[in-house]
Amino acid sequence: MDLDTLTGCLASSACLVTQTTSGFIIGMLLFLVAVGLTLIFGVLKVVNFSHGAFYMFGAYFAMTAYQLSGSFALAMLCGAAGTALLGLVFERVFMSRVYGADVLMQLLVCYAFVLIFDDVVRMIWGPEFKSMGMPSAFQVAPLFIAGGVVPPYYLLLIGVALSAAVILGLGLARTKVGKVIRAAAHNPGMVSALGINTGLIYGGVFALGGMLAGLAGALAAPVRSLTPGMGFSVLIESFIVTVIGGMGSILGALIGAILIGMIRSFGSLGFPLFTEGLMYLFMVIVLVSRPTGLFGKEVA
Amino acid sequence: MTRTRKPGVNRRATLAMMGAGAATLAMPWVARAQAKTIKVGMPTILSGRVAQLGTSSRNGVMIEVDKVNAAGGLAGRQIEMVIRDSKGQPQEAARVARELVNTDGCELLIDAEASSGAFAVHEVARDLGVLCIHTNSETSALTADPKQHIPNAFRTARQGVHDSIVGGSYAASISKAKGLKKWATCAPDYAYGRDTTGEFTTYLKRFAPDTEIISESWPKLFQADYTEVVTKILQAKPQALYSCLWGGDLTSYIDQANIYALFSQMEVFAVNMADYTALTVVKNLPKGIHSGNRYIKTYPATAENAAWGDAYKAKYNEYPTNWSWENATAIMLLAEASKKTNSADGKKLAEALRGLKIKSPFGADGTVTMRAEDQTLVGYAIGWGTTIPQEPYVPQVQAGDWKTIFELEAEWKKSKGYT
Amino acid sequence: MTELQAERAAMVPRSQARPQRWRYLDVSIALAAFLVLAMLPMFIGSKALLDFVIRCSAFGLFATSLNLLVGFTGMVSFGHGMFFGLGAYSFGLIMQRTGVPVPVAFVATLVITTIVAAVIGAICVRLKEIYFAFVTLAFQMLIHSTILSWVSLTGGDQGLRGGIPRPAFFGIDLTNHVHLYITSCALLVTGLLLMRQIAQSPFGYTLRMIRDNANRASFVGIDVWRAKLTIFVLAALFASTGGVIMALFVSGAYPEFAYWTISGEGIFINMLGGVTTFLGPMVGTVLLLILNDTVTRMTEYYGIVLGIVILFFAIGLRKGLMDFAVEWYAQRRSGPAERG
Repeated sequence: MDLDTLTGCLASSACLVTQTTSGFIIGMLLFLVAVGLTLIFGVLKVVNFSHGAFYMFGAYFAMTAYQLSGSFALAMLCGAAGTALLGLVFERVFMSRVYGADVLMQLLVCYAFVLIFDDVVRMIWGPEFKSMGMPSAFQVAPLFIAGGVVPPYYLLLIGVALSAAVILGLGLARTKVGKVIRAAAHNPGMVSALGINTGLIYGGVFALGGMLAGLAGALAAPVRSLTPGMGFSVLIESFIVTVIGGMGSILGALIGAILIGMIRSFGSLGFPLFTEGLMYLFMVIVLVSRPTGLFGKEVA
Repeated sequence: MTRTRKPGVNRRATLAMMGAGAATLAMPWVARAQAKTIKVGMPTILSGRVAQLGTSSRNGVMIEVDKVNAAGGLAGRQIEMVIRDSKGQPQEAARVARELVNTDGCELLIDAEASSGAFAVHEVARDLGVLCIHTNSETSALTADPKQHIPNAFRTARQGVHDSIVGGSYAASISKAKGLKKWATCAPDYAYGRDTTGEFTTYLKRFAPDTEIISESWPKLFQADYTEVVTKILQAKPQALYSCLWGGDLTSYIDQANIYALFSQMEVFAVNMADYTALTVVKNLPKGIHSGNRYIKTYPATAENAAWGDAYKAKYNEYPTNWSWENATAIMLLAEASKKTNSADGKKLAEALRGLKIKSPFGADGTVTMRAEDQTLVGYAIGWGTTIPQEPYVPQVQAGDWKTIFELEAEWKKSKGYT
Repeated sequence: MTELQAERAAMVPRSQARPQRWRYLDVSIALAAFLVLAMLPMFIGSKALLDFVIRCSAFGLFATSLNLLVGFTGMVSFGHGMFFGLGAYSFGLIMQRTGVPVPVAFVATLVITTIVAAVIGAICVRLKEIYFAFVTLAFQMLIHSTILSWVSLTGGDQGLRGGIPRPAFFGIDLTNHVHLYITSCALLVTGLLLMRQIAQSPFGYTLRMIRDNANRASFVGIDVWRAKLTIFVLAALFASTGGVIMALFVSGAYPEFAYWTISGEGIFINMLGGVTTFLGPMVGTVLLLILNDTVTRMTEYYGIVLGIVILFFAIGLRKGLMDFAVEWYAQRRSGPAERG
């Protein structure tokens, strides 16, 4: 434990700004992965254990696209679009077969794909780790805000993630498609009785979730090394986020992600050897006091 | 099959027995008769995040095995490598190692596991008495701790304590020249990271007593995001940073620290930087990172070493890693020991290995030695230099002095209660 | 006898109608199984086969105990592996640090497991369904990070090194391969027999009632919380025993034993073997270990092969092997009768 560093940081504005933004950066990428997870759970009632694989594919797609075209924007697009397509196919061909089955069977199918996808990546891109490299446009000096350091690339990252949150939130609340999706989440039988193709909705939601995870992977590719199995630690953390925030709640995912980001950021100052443990401890506390998470609805 | 109509347990028991019967048929338990070839078992990590460890270890072994076989094998017996994946799990490593010996009839073991797997295989070697060469574990205790010592286990790998002595003295000399007093450390939170960092700071302070460590960061092994670690170090404003992150973790760290312009604010000492796996992957390698050598074909600057690196590259289309030379050395030593004893018997080989000195492209003076007292490799090339972003990556390497290493290592062993 | 008790008694007629016959049958089957296993080394000299059975004992106890929760009580635990790890570490540490005889260390391990499981269980079993799964997973990860962080006690990521001493007791020398093998078999058979007794007891039927309808169970006067906690602790004890066998086998304990992947493997074994029969998890264990051992021999793309096999079970059969076999058998029996 190193509480002096922690209290020292809380007293200095430069440190506070830097660590808070660093908490946001960690949290926002987590949010993109977690929100897909929570969306899929909310609508399809499936705990998508293979979600980390979409993050991984997003990163690899982006890297390949960037190497071929040299365009950062195209790389992001490929990461997102490629995983959306993958999500759609995955849902229609495999997941849709186990909707009626036991939760454990669904988990098992996802687990099978975690194994398969990791090996597929190893076959295509090789077992060694890769790096995409930072586009030259972002190789600039970091900004200084109130004495704190903030790299411009991370501002972009936070911006993208926040706009995704806003678009998703508004889209679900205000648009017609959003209403249908929410209705399908509540009562799929009624929705399909109204002549709406629930298969299409399910496939769409899965594609959307996959796309967001893929986008997170693509955004992370310039700063994180790419290896088969890279989705795994991200998956575990985004699980924590969704469980804390409440499975099925988008606002919950946002708040949960920021909380985890802050725990990591400030926890690494005060408890450098137990940062990970802090997250699990927090998760246990939330689950025990509010089993459905901070923003989850009570299950009947 | 007769159809029984008894309900309950009998039916289940029958089915279970059918299952067990099928299982027995499916399992290749029949050990094959001993052939003229000698089988060498090698548990290693071929899948998951550190699959690179296994593949480059395998490459290192195979390039030498081919040479040995072309020259007639071990005492006339061709080597057949049996290489299995342990998936990085210690209990699987133990299981695979036992199976290699008990079922596949392997007479020797090359243990190309990372730390905890190596200790698990070590227990198997203790149990079965088979000759075992650890090639990848750098944890000093594996051979330094007399409690671990068994006569049939050797190590042909670098060692944390050697690296730290050389690193500490090198860093101290830079530190004195540039007036670097305030240091920060950043190491992966597992045994290798903790031990290596602890030893490095010990020797840094010993050689340059006026230095102090003002900040320590312990990210998890394989952590994806180092942002909080980078910013924590920036807050502390040290003059120099030591890190023993390696592989993908190190490249992630560099990419993430780069956009905070960390490298322009302090001298960085990253012991594992000068390895091709990291050097060739990082796109925007900052200039002037101080690093220990891992494997680099320009150090030792000999024709043999360059030729070995080039042959490897020609065969596998990538440069060797640190693990490649360590595994290649194991085969070289075995070949030499078998030549001396004209035998491929584990006990005789072990006898010959103790104190064996061979010519090697990886030796500091052109030779490496299997030290008899603790059965670990010494005399390998070890040094530090600064990086540039293109080949040869580390143009100048300042060699470590093995005499100093031996002195301080003996002292270290005493302080740990090992001698 | 109150009305409630009478009703409860009425709901479990099967178990009380012929308890003795079941018990004798179980005991004799267990005895026979043990004898067959114990005589195996005399006929087959393969050390690898003995290793295989030892590993089957460790994972079989673990997976069967998980099925007491998943299959019999409907409590899907994602964190059951923590007790496997706890058993391995407690036993290993006691042997390394205190030098007490093996049976004492074993009993002490069970005591420690009981205490830890009771505390964790008391917190967890209040939660239902997926939330129970998550909170157990969280505890597992907490224990795993504690093992990693508490280096002075556990050796951190390196695990317990230097081998686990095992002085001979009652003429049993666990450093001897055959002795270790027979001890593992004895633990396995005894464990299975005990779990079978739990499953077939009135308490076992109470658990099934909780699984099928927890509300109804509490209406008829069953203290659901206490029943769940009891089975949580009992299951932990058997998982811990599995961990002890594993620790003896590898002569050490590693953080991987307490990682969530062990729990995942347990669940996978159950799905593979089937959760509706008592021996399903045991069949699953044998299947998974054979699959693991043969596939890793053949390819380093183990994941793809295993993944496809899983898909076959999950999407093709849609149930575990034993469940499938039992249903198939039942159909075959009833088939001709319906037609004729």
